[in-house]
Amino acid sequence: MSAMPKRILVTGSTRGIGRATAEYLASQGADIILHGRHREDVDAAVARLEAAPALVSGIAADLSSRADIAHLAETAGEIDVLINCAGIYEEQTLEGLDAQSWARTMDVNLTAPWLLTRLMLDGLRRRRGLIINVASDAGLLGIAGGGTYCASKGALIGLTKALAIELAPDVRAVCICPGPVATDMMTQSVAAARDHEAALNQWTNYAPLGRIAAPREIASLIAYAASADAAFATGSVWLMDGGLTAGKRI
Amino acid sequence: MITGAGRGLGLAMARALVAQGCRVALNDKSESQLAAALTELGDCAVSAAADLSSVEGPALCVDQALAGLGHLDIVVNNAAINIENDIARTTDALWDMHLAINLRAPHLVVARATAALRQSRGVVLNVASELGLHAIPNNVAYVSAKHGLIALTRALAIELAQHGIRVNVLCPGTMDTDLMQECAAASGNPKEYYAVFNEYHPLGRIASPEEVANFAITLVSPLTAFMTGSSIAFDGGSTAGRVWRAV
Repeated sequence: MSAMPKRILVTGSTRGIGRATAEYLASQGADIILHGRHREDVDAAVARLEAAPALVSGIAADLSSRADIAHLAETAGEIDVLINCAGIYEEQTLEGLDAQSWARTMDVNLTAPWLLTRLMLDGLRRRRGLIINVASDAGLLGIAGGGTYCASKGALIGLTKALAIELAPDVRAVCICPGPVATDMMTQSVAAARDHEAALNQWTNYAPLGRIAAPREIASLIAYAASADAAFATGSVWLMDGGLTAGKRI
Repeated sequence: MITGAGRGLGLAMARALVAQGCRVALNDKSESQLAAALTELGDCAVSAAADLSSVEGPALCVDQALAGLGHLDIVVNNAAINIENDIARTTDALWDMHLAINLRAPHLVVARATAALRQSRGVVLNVASELGLHAIPNNVAYVSAKHGLIALTRALAIELAQHGIRVNVLCPGTMDTDLMQECAAASGNPKEYYAVFNEYHPLGRIASPEEVANFAITLVSPLTAFMTGSSIAFDGGSTAGRVWRAV
C-alpha cells in the first residue's frame, strides 16, 4: 500500500472499528488524532499507542454537542483525512418512540460528520484531503426496531455522495459500510438479549459468510481508502459486510 | 392523509385520490394554499394543518386527519423543503430544518399513525427524490435527508410488515410544478432554466405533477399489494446512468 497521509483524525477511536483503524494507521506511520467521548478513555487510547512510529494525540468531545464538535475541530487543527467513525445505536421501536433518542442518534451519526466537515473544510481543501464516513449495512437495508439508526446511516451515505460531488476535485469523500463486526456495540446487543447464545448465533449467521468480522478487517479497508492507491475513489460506497446486502439464502 | 398537499405533487395526488373515491386529509405549511385546496376538493377533503418542522406537529397532523376522516388507509409523506446551498452556506439552522421536515416528520407521522394503519392494514408512501439515490452539487442537506428517507422506509417496512402495513418510497425526477415555474422566473432566463432541467433527464423532458401523481396512487393501491420496502425511481432515466452526447 502507498504511504499514508500525514495527519488523520479518527472520531470514535477509543473502541471498536475506530480504535482498530487508528491503531492500524498509526502502525503505518500516520500521525493520529484520537477522539472519544470520555477523557479517561481517550488518555488510555493514547497510552496504548505510545510505541507507534508517529505522533499520537487525543481529544475528548461529546459529538451530540455542537460546542464540543467545534472544540474538536479547532483543537485538531488542519488535517489530511477526517474519518467519521463514531456512531451510536439505540433500539427504538415505533411504539416505544423516544424523541430524544432520535435527536441523539442523528446528532452523533449524521450531524457530527457534516459539521466536522464544514468546520475543517478549509484545511482539507488546502491539503487536497479526504473524508471517510463509516456508515453501515443498515444504511442500505432496514432493521426492525432500528429505524432511527437506519435513517441516520442512510443519510450518511447521501451526505458522502453530496460532499463528493460538491467538493471535487479538491476534497474526496468515501463511505464504508461494514456488516456485523465484533465491537462493543455488538457485545452490548448480545448482553441485552434474553438468550445470549442465540443472539450471538444470530449475529454469526446474519451474513452469508457465516461469521462476524474483526474490527481490524474493516480498519484495513479504511486504511486502503485513505492511501494514495485509492485516489480515484470519491462518492463511493464500499460494502464489507460478508455478503449481507447482496441477498438472502433460502 | 397527504402532507405538503397545498400545491405541486401533493395537490395532484389529492385530486387523483379523490377522483378514485377517497376522502383526503390535507396538510400544508401555507395556510392560503391549504385553504384553496380544501375549497377545491369540498366535502372530500379535511384539514390536517400542523407545523411539520416541530417535534409535536406530525402527531397533531395525524390526530386531525383521524378526527376528520375517522380512519386512515393511506399516508403520504410528501412535504419537503429544498433550499440549495453549498456546504459553507448550509448553516446549522438550515441543516436542522431539512432533517426535521424531510426526515424526522415522516418518521413521527408513521409512528403516530401506526395504530390506525394496523387496523386498516394500510399503506405508507414516502416521497423522496431522485436525489435520494444520487447527488448533485450544492444541495448537501436535501440529498442527505432524502437518502435517509429511503433507509427509513426500508426500516419501517421491515418493522411494520408483521402488521400488514406496507411502506414504500417514490423517487421522482424534476416536475413542472409551481415551484419550478417560480424558480425559472427568478433565474432571469426561464427558457434556459427549463432547457437545463429537460436535458438533465435522459428522456429529454421533466415530468408533469399529474403523471407522477397517477403513478404514485398505483403505489398505494391494491395493485402493489406485494410491494414493501421498495424505492421506486420515476425520473426519466436520471439515476440510471449518463448520456453521452456526440460532440
